Amino acid sequence: MRHLHKYIFALILLFMAASCRKDIPQINDPGNYISGNFGEVFDSYWTGMNNNYVFWDIDTVNWDQVYKTYKPLFAKLNLYDSNDVRKGYTYFKQLSAGLVDSHYDLSFKDSWLKDSFSINPAYQRKVASPDYHNPIDIFNFYDTIPHHYLDPGWKRGFTNDVDKQYVAVSGTIKQSTLYFFFSAFNLKNLFNTDTANGVKRVEQYFFDKLKNTPNITGIIIDVRGNGGGSLADLNFLIGQMIGKQLDFGYTRSKQGNGRLDYSPWAPAFVTPQPGARNITAPIIMLADAWSVSMSEITTMAVKSLPNGHFVGERTWGANGPLTDNKNYNGGQFSTDYINLVYTSSLMLKYRDGKIYEGIGFPPDIEVKYNQAAFDAGRDLQLEAAIGLIR
Amino acid sequence: MKHKLLFFTALLLCLNAASLKTQAQFEIGVSGGYDKNYLHTSTGYRAFTKYDALSGFVVGIPMQYHFNDWLAIQAEPSYIQKNYEQSRDHFFDGIFQKTTNTYIQLPLMAHFSFGGHQLRGFVNMGGYGAYWADSRIKGAMANVFNSGPDLPNNQQVYNYFQFNQAYNYNEKYAFDSRRDRRMEFGLVAGAGVEYLLHCKYRFFVEGRYYYGLSDQQKNYMINQIPRYNDTYVIQAGCLFSIKNIFHHAHEQEVKTAE
Repeated sequence: MRHLHKYIFALILLFMAASCRKDIPQINDPGNYISGNFGEVFDSYWTGMNNNYVFWDIDTVNWDQVYKTYKPLFAKLNLYDSNDVRKGYTYFKQLSAGLVDSHYDLSFKDSWLKDSFSINPAYQRKVASPDYHNPIDIFNFYDTIPHHYLDPGWKRGFTNDVDKQYVAVSGTIKQSTLYFFFSAFNLKNLFNTDTANGVKRVEQYFFDKLKNTPNITGIIIDVRGNGGGSLADLNFLIGQMIGKQLDFGYTRSKQGNGRLDYSPWAPAFVTPQPGARNITAPIIMLADAWSVSMSEITTMAVKSLPNGHFVGERTWGANGPLTDNKNYNGGQFSTDYINLVYTSSLMLKYRDGKIYEGIGFPPDIEVKYNQAAFDAGRDLQLEAAIGLIR
Repeated sequence: MKHKLLFFTALLLCLNAASLKTQAQFEIGVSGGYDKNYLHTSTGYRAFTKYDALSGFVVGIPMQYHFNDWLAIQAEPSYIQKNYEQSRDHFFDGIFQKTTNTYIQLPLMAHFSFGGHQLRGFVNMGGYGAYWADSRIKGAMANVFNSGPDLPNNQQVYNYFQFNQAYNYNEKYAFDSRRDRRMEFGLVAGAGVEYLLHCKYRFFVEGRYYYGLSDQQKNYMINQIPRYNDTYVIQAGCLFSIKNIFHHAHEQEVKTAE
């Protein structure tokens, strides 16, 4: 006990040093903020992006700088002044302009913005690019292709959902090459529904031909202008044409609140379906700058086949799968003010190790959009695909 | 880099000290034990997600230099695991990741002892530096591309793996130099008892607490949630004076010759 004071002194030193830890900040769910003023509106959005956005690893936007620049600007705005609401909309557009996520879409609940478009940075970039062109007219697929390129007996059909129309066309070229166009990925749902619909009839025709055509010389899957949709369609469609699991890339999600907190890369693959026919003839994806999301994922999967090809243009560049943010601890969210921050839940890396988010997946054989040829009733991209099949 | 260099220089000096001319006050030994590491952090608003402590082990080479009968300075270059687990529950039960972190650590402590000649109590207090040498991750996550068999309509679902099946992994963690801070500094405190056997071997058991003061992450983002290691160790070991051992051996040789 002679040295008790020395022990006490050492203990005091230890306790003083122990106070050097940083405090753990309170991170709130963006959905729980009360949008009573623009400061809170900005904080809820910025926080949600800070923790949920899945592309911070590759995104070049300096999110800390966004906070420093825009926090004071939003703080000056009045939520109950329509001019300020318009100004706030412009700020949101500016600060999100460089985000690499090409699914990204920002829509608002504010009634003063109900006539405004949602903010879609990838679309803004697309419109501003020198190669920009409108999507190919749906009548090229629905009318021109069947009449000019398909053998007699082709099928086409459409069905209307609450807010969407699905169109599909299928037929043969020189009797042994199968052609299948569909405007969006909802094939499995539409096929399994009890209600008869135009798309289901076309799907049935295509699957019958896939099963029964004796010597298939090629398959052309046309996803030009296809905005994507259900991931379940990957197995449902491509799983009918392969004999074994087809690995084509990897995905990862957020695993913590930090911008760089990621899960490991999990393999992305297509699973063969019962009764599948292992196609060894060329399978050609036709895709263009308006082929988005599932169209790109399907193109990547097919291009991974030894007999897979991709003809057309570089795709849109939105490759990350989407689901509810609870499922993968990241991705899309809403706030009191923002209807939806629509953003990917996972990051996709192709089998070559590259991430094509924001830049699009490149074709093997590039054939640019040609409006003059379309006007003349010719589809040069389809012709290039047909040319690959001997 | 500067920190890393300093740390390894200190480590080398300590190891080198063992090979210098031994002195009566200098003791060296071995130690080993069990540890449990708690990650001091927060999951923020992540749904159904938590962090748990995990066990590991530690082995070290304690070295003591005695100034007098109650005070010594102790260094103990060690290999220590600071492990933890992140897991999800309820509908996401089964999703987890166990992280096994290996540190090369150098605690430097004041060693205060008290009590009798053979059986003594002691308290260690000081600081430590550690280098995060390696990390492995093992776990299961849902794989969005592995949907598994279709679920029949109107069937209740009990686990997220019924939608997206599990991807099981066990792999080396790839450090990210933008985020991971591989040098760790902190405080250490411990207490135990030691028993002197044959005036040569000092056996001890000790409970020790390592309190990390360095965030495992560099400051790379606003509103960053820090991560600190809190490590509890129970260990045992033995210290001996090299000079005493050789001195006795020399005496025995002389006696045999006589």
